[in-house]
Amino acid sequence: MYTGPAGSASLPLQIHDYNVHIDSNDVFWMILVNHDAVEVNFDAGRASLRVNNLNVFDDHDIANSLTLGLGLPGDPDYPFPAIAPVAPVRATVSFDVEWNGIHDMAQLNNTAQNFKGTFLSTGATIKWSAEQSGFRFESESPDPSRNLISVLGREQNGVFFT
Amino acid sequence: MNEQDPSFWKRVKQTRLSRRGLIHGVAGTVAGVSFLTPKLVLADEGQDSENASCAIASPIPGGVTPFKPFGVVVHHNPLNPANPLAKLNDPSQITDFDGFVGLTHIRGGGTGTNTNTGATTPLAFQADMGFSQGKFVGIDGRQHNRTFAFV
Repeated sequence: MYTGPAGSASLPLQIHDYNVHIDSNDVFWMILVNHDAVEVNFDAGRASLRVNNLNVFDDHDIANSLTLGLGLPGDPDYPFPAIAPVAPVRATVSFDVEWNGIHDMAQLNNTAQNFKGTFLSTGATIKWSAEQSGFRFESESPDPSRNLISVLGREQNGVFFT
Repeated sequence: MNEQDPSFWKRVKQTRLSRRGLIHGVAGTVAGVSFLTPKLVLADEGQDSENASCAIASPIPGGVTPFKPFGVVVHHNPLNPANPLAKLNDPSQITDFDGFVGLTHIRGGGTGTNTNTGATTPLAFQADMGFSQGKFVGIDGRQHNRTFAFV
């Protein structure tokens, strides 16, 4: 979340970064949810992800999230600005993400990354909220024009890639 | 002033690595579990105990390190609107996986509220979110069928 007009995403302007942290196996920002939190109609290019009151961390910004709260030093030779260290705080988020409408389709077989499958570029919308001590956020109504890129895939990777 | 001390980054990295170790140690002691790995203490509303008790998947081998040399390796391939779908990197965060994946990259706006004062302010957001739903071989060597949110 950033100060500035809708569409802003500049690191120095970031004031909240909600995520579930990297797990003990190094899996990035994934958390198990109930099976019915996700509904997929792949052939129609539709899917939804709906979760209420998920416990997350607010790392303040992506730099602190990915440096485990150490921030960035800032230096003329470093491509990012100085970011002060910030410790994470607890928060909850609720969200309804909808994928809808096929813009493009591709069959991929990527031997370098060991994955294959059918992939769709789709439209998408989100409605979400966050709550933590002293602060609450409510997103605007779902707006398809806000989607920059969204993808659905039916894929196999790793041992399932043959 | 712009000349770089050749040992500068080395000293910074050593200091920060030490701080990182300290933070891990303190967090683990205070919380009883690692504060930085929330899977054992966070659960979706109504999540069953089997789901809540396991961080069982393995990450994809690839990914990015956005804040190199300081940030951790991120086993995730962010969507890039400039890349055609045919050049898509593996959108899954977990490996040994067979199922559905979804990712979004959405920027929008909303309203933040100071709940102490009631003051409101317009804010912007970027949502890089998604899901994985299907079967995968876990770190226990067994096949599982689960649904994950990417948050």
